[in-house]
Amino acid sequence: MEFELVIIGGGPAGLMAALTAAEKGVKTAIVEESFALGGQLRQQAQVLENLPKEFGKQSGIALAKFFSNKVSSIGVTALLGHTMIGTYRNGTIGVSNGKDTFPIYAKKILVTTGAAEQAALFPGWTLPGVMTIGAAQILLNRERVLPGKEAVVLGCNSISYDIAKQLRACGVNVQGIIEKKSIDEIDKELIEKFESENIEVFFHSNIEKAAGKQHVEKVWIDNDVLKKEREIDLVCISNGLYPVTEPLELLDCEFTYIENLGGRIPKYGSSFTTSNSSVYVAGNAAGITCIEGILVTASIAVTGILEDLAILNNIEAKKQKEILWTELLKAETGRYSKVHDARISLVNDFLPKEI
Amino acid sequence: MDKSTIVCKCEEINIDEIETALKAGACQFDDIKRLTRCGMGPCQSKVCTNMVREIIAAYTGEPMEHIEYPKNRMPIKITRLGVLVANQETSSVVSVFKESVSEVDTNG
Ligand SMILES: Cc1cc2nc3c(=O)[nH]c(=O)nc-3n(C[C@H](O)[C@H](O)[C@H](O)COP(=O)(O)OP(=O)(O)OC[C@H]3O[C@@H](n4cnc5c(N)ncnc54)[C@H](O)[C@@H]3O)c2cc1C
Ligand code: FES
Repeated sequence: MEFELVIIGGGPAGLMAALTAAEKGVKTAIVEESFALGGQLRQQAQVLENLPKEFGKQSGIALAKFFSNKVSSIGVTALLGHTMIGTYRNGTIGVSNGKDTFPIYAKKILVTTGAAEQAALFPGWTLPGVMTIGAAQILLNRERVLPGKEAVVLGCNSISYDIAKQLRACGVNVQGIIEKKSIDEIDKELIEKFESENIEVFFHSNIEKAAGKQHVEKVWIDNDVLKKEREIDLVCISNGLYPVTEPLELLDCEFTYIENLGGRIPKYGSSFTTSNSSVYVAGNAAGITCIEGILVTASIAVTGILEDLAILNNIEAKKQKEILWTELLKAETGRYSKVHDARISLVNDFLPKEI
Repeated sequence: MDKSTIVCKCEEINIDEIETALKAGACQFDDIKRLTRCGMGPCQSKVCTNMVREIIAAYTGEPMEHIEYPKNRMPIKITRLGVLVANQETSSVVSVFKESVSEVDTNG
């Protein structure tokens, strides 16, 4: 198999990139490990408020459907159930479909493998009934299975807000949100959102342990005031995300460490080119950001790819990128401004190598 | 925290086993991996990476940014050996595991 552009990962970043590239006539393929496109959007039932204008307001699930339909109608080859498992000696990517392993040749490779959830360590965290919010989302929104009846959620953030609200809507009693940080360290707007939903947040607290015979039955919260055991059957952990970057490691891309982008992160320039000049990165794999940021980084990477493939001339590409970087700045303001600052310093550090 | 708390749930490795490896001279994640199989389960350390790194940071007193991540090798996802050799023309085991064989082996 041979393509001009091969995209690893069919989440929102990969799909956005595939659409834009295919519209410009680039022969594009998406390699996607699971049996459906959409990535982590596939279980996000909440309405995404700040999508770029052309998408309006829609749920993650709807956006995933919209993208998948569009991608198949525009002639992108979607290799579902295909996983990039390695590289050959000459750097060609190696893909497995569960029966066979084969190379896929590409002029340009875009890695959009997204992010993984961070678990949290406390005695009893491996008990059935203790799960990440992603698992709870999948049970609730994709499989239509109620994950429990009495819940606590670890971590006060926008993702835990959405899942707490969804659990409540399904009749689960959310006993509270447990948050390590103090109230002044958390975004005011977010606290107000929890208040307006009447969901209690316990600041300065942590889960000391969880216990139960075959399933979680109790948690102990280590808060000086609370210090009490609670009877629950569901603990949802919302402890942040970190970039999934294994394919980039195998493609010999250089890495650096930036806390505000999620830890270890590939080095990239202003077109999201990595230190391997035929490999690009976008979406959460390029640093944990909001859904608008995910889509815009993909657009920037594609602009760089189109320029490299001489489909866009330098002047057009430069103009396009300037517009997109302004959009990215807009998307990454407020809660995401630290992410943006970190990104800018990463890109600036990369400049000398690009020349 | 209770030292019997499991950190790597795929391989059922607890805090005590990780600390024992550190006491035995392990410095980084991959040292612990070689000694205990920590991180070698079906998730290939997706779940335990940062928890193990935090334990190393606490033990050594180094900041998290100095604590290495486990090295990813192919195949990066669970793959049956039969699948690696299925198509002999394109994917002999030898070519997939490029780092584990020398030139001589491949040619001969
Ligand atoms: C469990 C979970 C829940 C989340 N919930 C929310 C939420 O409620 N709200 C919110 O704003 N954000 C949430 N996020 C953040 C989420 O990462 C983004 O919303 C968005 O989906 C990221 O887009 P992406 O395209 O970068 O990656 P993803 O959507 O993660 O897509 C990456 C794709 O790459 C594929 N892939 C990975 N490795 C390989 C490989 N080697 N070969 C082939 N395919 C591969 C994966 O199967 C996946 O489909 C969640 C993240 C996770 C992990
Ligand atoms: S939790 Fe350690 S390998 Fe999966």
